[in-house]
Amino acid sequence: MLKKLLYICLLLLFSVTSAAQNRFPKPDFESGYQYPEITYAVSNEVVWVWVDIILLTFLMCIAAWAVLKKRTRKPIVWISVISVAYFGFFRSGCVCSIGSIQNVSLALADSTYILPIPVLLFFILPVLFAFLFGRVFCAGVCPFGALQELVNLKNYRLSKPVTAVLGMIPWIYLIFAILYAVTRSSFIICRFDPFIGIFRLGGDIGLILFGVLLLIAAIFTGRPFCRFICPYGALLSLFSRVSVWKIKLTQKPCINCELCHNACPVDAIRPPYENRVKETRQQGVRRIISYFIILPLMILAGAFLMRSVGSHLSRANKDVRLYNMVISHEASPQDIPSVELEAFYGQGGTIEALTAAYENIQAGFKLYSTLAGALIGLVIGITLIGLSVKRTRRQYEIDYAGCVACGRCFGYCPQNEGKIEKLCPTQDKG
Amino acid sequence: MEKNENRYSPISRRKFLQIAGSAIAGGAILSVFGGLMYRAKMRESSYYWQIDPQKCTQCGRCQTECVLPVSAVKCLHANKVCGYCDLCGGYYRSNVKELNTAAENLMCPTGAIERKYVEDPYFEYTIDERLCNGCGKCVKGCSSFGNGSLYLQIKRDLCKDCNECTIATVCPSDAITRVPLAAAYKLKE
Repeated sequence: MLKKLLYICLLLLFSVTSAAQNRFPKPDFESGYQYPEITYAVSNEVVWVWVDIILLTFLMCIAAWAVLKKRTRKPIVWISVISVAYFGFFRSGCVCSIGSIQNVSLALADSTYILPIPVLLFFILPVLFAFLFGRVFCAGVCPFGALQELVNLKNYRLSKPVTAVLGMIPWIYLIFAILYAVTRSSFIICRFDPFIGIFRLGGDIGLILFGVLLLIAAIFTGRPFCRFICPYGALLSLFSRVSVWKIKLTQKPCINCELCHNACPVDAIRPPYENRVKETRQQGVRRIISYFIILPLMILAGAFLMRSVGSHLSRANKDVRLYNMVISHEASPQDIPSVELEAFYGQGGTIEALTAAYENIQAGFKLYSTLAGALIGLVIGITLIGLSVKRTRRQYEIDYAGCVACGRCFGYCPQNEGKIEKLCPTQDKG
Repeated sequence: MEKNENRYSPISRRKFLQIAGSAIAGGAILSVFGGLMYRAKMRESSYYWQIDPQKCTQCGRCQTECVLPVSAVKCLHANKVCGYCDLCGGYYRSNVKELNTAAENLMCPTGAIERKYVEDPYFEYTIDERLCNGCGKCVKGCSSFGNGSLYLQIKRDLCKDCNECTIATVCPSDAITRVPLAAAYKLKE
């Protein structure tokens, strides 16, 4: 009887301490058995990360030297090959500069988030180079751009309205990526990355298909991903617009031959344009005032719209989903709980703590989606204004925001240095 | 008229905008870099995804959610925690009719657990990493009936160090977090 009681007590004790999980004592071996020594491989990531950063800087320096000083495309092709091979296939495209936007914006919004220094460098170095030399990162150092550049054969031009509408996508994508990053919901740039599956030779089949479609499109028109999707390209275009040193089409006077315009894969060379609309000073002032009215209206409308859908957007957050699950489970407890609920109750989570977290996230979403809406309104407004502003150009000019420094135009320009001698090598002697 | 045009020539205005834009852009780069660098210097950056075995609920998502075709999550075995049981909850399925090593009686769907006789009641278990797919079935068995010496962990040599671990986004117990290099593995000892 006493033994039975003791047994029950022991059982109870075991069930209580099951978290410690020492149900069975350590065996004492008599045969001289030794525990095997197991070491787990830690790959030399630290070294690789610094190799990445040094190579990134080195390749960007070469690209800047090639397009600004030597004015030739040849090194860019080699940089593209190296980048696709190393950053793409060997390093599997992670951590990339495009995705680092999210880490940096999260670190700026939330001081508890620890931003690794390599990620910060991956973010800031291409921005710095864009500020100094233009988008030399896009030229071929970015494996995504390089991959599209290498398959590009034809430059079928899209019409201007289509380009303008599609050109807004990167900005809106950037705004949503930052919105979801700062609210700690999801890193959408990483999640919907079309080329990572190709580099890793496996992954989500839908995204790989999308990546392949983009690559097929890239054969016929230059860099569809860079122009119409890439949020980092949108960010870099801001800096390259005001860059310190700028790429020049030719050092000799332009003869308006149109060859560079046809060669540009990203449609970043604007043809000469004669603005025939003569408006009086009063009309001009009226136009500017209308811009200043339209722009704030767009911003306000965007902010209002996004604020009203903020709570729907918050469903992307894990805690919000869990809160909704817990609420619906509390309403009907007879349903079989999902693994999330099992984990929540298993870890002794309380609804009070979850509600506090939920309200915190909702407040964050309200604030940040309002800001995001304002920015979306700003982007759409500026795009519309940009479409309506007409400027007279006498020569072919580079649109520095769109130029990806691929250097294709240099080879086509008949005024470029060395070109004439190459075409008629005997001219000097004769 | 011509003089007037020169005075308000668009080039100088554009140049002014250019310089102002450059100053703003340069200032933004410097302040972001400086601020984040200062903050990053203060703490050791944690960079490597790891599973906290204490939090893990063996939901099985590690097997399916990893970006790799075969998950980088593998089962590890802490020999010093193991009871070397004959009737191993991680090796055999529960309620099997006959205790033999036929595949239908075994927990592991890929046959990655090797069992070796040591001495009378004791058996040694090892995981063949090449076969393990990180499903966590054995971990569940061992945690429910044994000492919990089997546990899931992200293998550093296989992990791609994604910016955001796709398993972490769906992990029901938030067991996957970033750790510093010094603690690259959260091991059970």
